[in-house]
Amino acid sequence: MKTKTLEASAHKQVRVFGGLPMLITAVVIVALLVILPLTGVLSSNTQRYLLKIFLYCCLGSMWNLMSGYTGMTSLGQQSFIGIAGYSLAVMTFTYGASYWAGFAVGGVLGAALALGLSVLLFRMRGMYFAIATWVVAEALKTFFTSWTFVKQGAGMTIKAKPYPSTTEIYMIALVLCVVSLVVIYLLLRSKIGLGLTAMRDDADAASSVGVNIFQSKLLCFVICGFFTALAGGVFYLNKGSIYPSGGFGINWTVSIVFIVIIGGIGTMGGPILGAIIYTVLEEMLASYPGYSNIILGLIAILVILFLPDGILGTLQKKFHFEILSQKRFSKE
Amino acid sequence: MQILINGILLGAIYALLGVGMSMMFGIVKLTNLAHGEFIIMGAFGSTILSSALGINPILTLVVTVPVMFLLGMVLQSVLINRVMLRGAEPALLVTFGLSIILKDAMLLLFTADAQKIGVSYATASLNLGGISISVLNLVVFAISLITILVLTLFLRKTYMGRAIRATSDDTVAASLMGVSVKKTYGVAMGIAMATAAIAGLCVGMRWTFYPSSGGEYLLIAFGVVVIGGMGSIPGTLVAGLVFGLAQVIGGANYGMFISYIVLLVMLAVRPQGLFSK
Repeated sequence: MKTKTLEASAHKQVRVFGGLPMLITAVVIVALLVILPLTGVLSSNTQRYLLKIFLYCCLGSMWNLMSGYTGMTSLGQQSFIGIAGYSLAVMTFTYGASYWAGFAVGGVLGAALALGLSVLLFRMRGMYFAIATWVVAEALKTFFTSWTFVKQGAGMTIKAKPYPSTTEIYMIALVLCVVSLVVIYLLLRSKIGLGLTAMRDDADAASSVGVNIFQSKLLCFVICGFFTALAGGVFYLNKGSIYPSGGFGINWTVSIVFIVIIGGIGTMGGPILGAIIYTVLEEMLASYPGYSNIILGLIAILVILFLPDGILGTLQKKFHFEILSQKRFSKE
Repeated sequence: MQILINGILLGAIYALLGVGMSMMFGIVKLTNLAHGEFIIMGAFGSTILSSALGINPILTLVVTVPVMFLLGMVLQSVLINRVMLRGAEPALLVTFGLSIILKDAMLLLFTADAQKIGVSYATASLNLGGISISVLNLVVFAISLITILVLTLFLRKTYMGRAIRATSDDTVAASLMGVSVKKTYGVAMGIAMATAAIAGLCVGMRWTFYPSSGGEYLLIAFGVVVIGGMGSIPGTLVAGLVFGLAQVIGGANYGMFISYIVLLVMLAVRPQGLFSK
């Protein structure tokens, strides 16, 4: 009896912004984001900002899926990004193929890398997993620095004729961002997603009630590898050239971790908010070169100390609401 | 034989890189991702002092070791003890934040130029029956071994050392016996940073370094800890040798790559390390 009333009151307190109103809002926002650049209202500079936000949002959401929902904190997302950037460069420059072929190869290699690494990485938990993912990225970096096929440390350029315009890359990034958010949302609301959250909170308990840990983790890791690689490919299409030190650099993970921590780890909306804040901060800090990581690092530490749930997570707790919740509430 | 000697000389400094990290791991249960930056901080400290005062770089340890020890104690008690209450992952991310702050702060202070601590015997070498041994590498080897030996004696023989080991074995029991856990953590972090100062001197004497070199040394340190088993000092020594040999055998181009592969395989096959308790 008592627990039931408690549950009921908890349901009343949390207002969930979901269902039809959420769907309509999301569709309107996406429609606006598609139409505005075509009408020429958005300058190409604004499109560049938004493009970055979309890609960071995809990268952050994928890391959040791993760390926030599955409890696998990776510090090696740059492995997927670097592989995808190099796939794009090799396909377009060495083989003269289109950049779509580059994306496809990058995405497949990203998923394959995740699949292959899972054999090694899934034997580890917590900090071991975190460091091992980083070691993989560093190993790839040293390998690419010595590999003559990819011109060693000299880097490669990405070739495309005609080179896609900012608006075209913007559209690709937007589609990628929307698709990855939808995939994560559907995944988390499915039976697998509930199992994942249970697994993050207590792996042993989840496994004893029949959650197939290995399969669920593998699915998440492969999805994460695939989409992270695609986002990396689009990033490098926008950038035009790639070097081992940048492609496999830890800075990718620094940005991703910052985005998720600031926004709110373990919430759907957190990485979206984080990506917006991060991109704005990055542009603002660009005029103070050298200080940007110091300021970002300080903000991240302060947020961990004082707002451990991130900005969105703290707001959600304080005002009892949830956006894009993966939880399935009964209609009482 | 030459390869073996080179591997052993390299291995000792690798063990020194890992020993501070191993202490934090074993005693405080903290993965300190800023350890690489601490080492580079030590290297810069020694560079500046030795060139400003014109003294032997080894003498700069008189200043850098106590300064880094104090910094470590303050850092642990002001910041890290607080986040550790929230669990292992926030603490990991805070040290990650610290590492990027320190890296960029050093970049601002010292520019991105390559640095090296110069010594008069940098190019001298001994010839023993066809095997040439660089004097510099021998000195670094000696410093590393002495540091590890002193640390072992400290942990075995002194009251503080025993308190640290007791805390590491059973935090609750140690605190019931009157050991202040927070204070012990502070001292452990202080010692870890002091070893980073010495490791920094050795790194600076042997190789050129940059403000951004920390990540590389962090991974070596981590590899040594993992291969050796956390908190085990003899394990750290053996692991340093394994890592050093793997790299020397791998050669100039792929040496580091081979070391990383060895590390990954070790992580997967025996994550508790060769010498775990």
